[in-house]
Amino acid sequence: MKTIVLAVVAALALGALAAALLTGAQRTAYQAYATSGARVSEPGHNLVGPTWSGEN
Amino acid sequence: MFRELGRLQGRVSIPDAKAATLEQPQGRDWRQFREGWLPWIGALAVLGMLLALFAFYFTKGRIRLDHTEESGTKIQRFNAFERFTHWLTASSFIVLALTGLNYIFGKRLLMPLIGPDAFATLSQWGKYAHNFLAWPFMLGIIFMIVVWLKDNIPNRVDVAWVKAGGGFLGDAHPSAYRFNAGQKVVFWLVMICGIAMSVTGIIMLFPFSATDINGMQITQVVHALIGVLFIAAILAHIYIGSLGMEGAYDAMGSGEVDLAWARRHHDLWVQQQEAKTASGPQIGSRGAVPAE
Repeated sequence: MKTIVLAVVAALALGALAAALLTGAQRTAYQAYATSGARVSEPGHNLVGPTWSGEN
Repeated sequence: MFRELGRLQGRVSIPDAKAATLEQPQGRDWRQFREGWLPWIGALAVLGMLLALFAFYFTKGRIRLDHTEESGTKIQRFNAFERFTHWLTASSFIVLALTGLNYIFGKRLLMPLIGPDAFATLSQWGKYAHNFLAWPFMLGIIFMIVVWLKDNIPNRVDVAWVKAGGGFLGDAHPSAYRFNAGQKVVFWLVMICGIAMSVTGIIMLFPFSATDINGMQITQVVHALIGVLFIAAILAHIYIGSLGMEGAYDAMGSGEVDLAWARRHHDLWVQQQEAKTASGPQIGSRGAVPAE
């Protein structure tokens, strides 16, 4: 049982490590696929705002 | 704009080169597979296997141990690293299988039960789990190759084992080294499916890095088809390792099996172990435990 628990903990730890590395290396779509000329507002926000309320 | 391979494609100056493809007719075939064929294939594979296992259990019952034949002496079947490798891969696989099935069946089966908001949250976290727990799974597959490949090379003994029906036909137990032919089939199934799922999974984790839109669709089809068949096959492995065969869990739980059982099922392997260390640390006498 000790080995099973250790393996599950290791799986979670490796998963968390993969999450940190992959998320850190990821770029958002506006960074990867558009130049500054195509950005209509502050990058990371859209026209309806971050909370979709229409207020930026 | 011009037509090339059935696509409507032009040129763009933005960094997103795939935006140059305005229309890709093959996408309709992929959607037909994704929404039409795949749920049926997945349901037939998984439910078919579950029904077959239920039928086997209720007609044949558990494969029982003969406790009168236990020697009381135990032999180590799997060391701690081997068991760690098995459970690292297994625990990751269970999450990958459940979250993978959610991609196919979630909106059809779960969403009507728990509502769209809860389903959206569950699926988002399921997607994270699928993407990130794929890495310990892949590490487990590499570890399995390292520790078990040498014991899973097919040989003449396997042919005799298959001809004898693996001991299920008649009373005699055919000879086997560390793994019998049935166990080797499971190993190679996990290796082939595991590597195929890893390669296609990595291609999808980094979309459009290795291939174009057609390639991404083909990759998803291969990943999904192998995935549902892999899940169905592992259901049988889980059944045999738990409910189906009394004591089977102990080999991968404690790592030790009864010496008499080992001689009965893996006689050639026991001879090899005894040749290495006839009375050394490999074989001890620490009281009787259920064997595999």
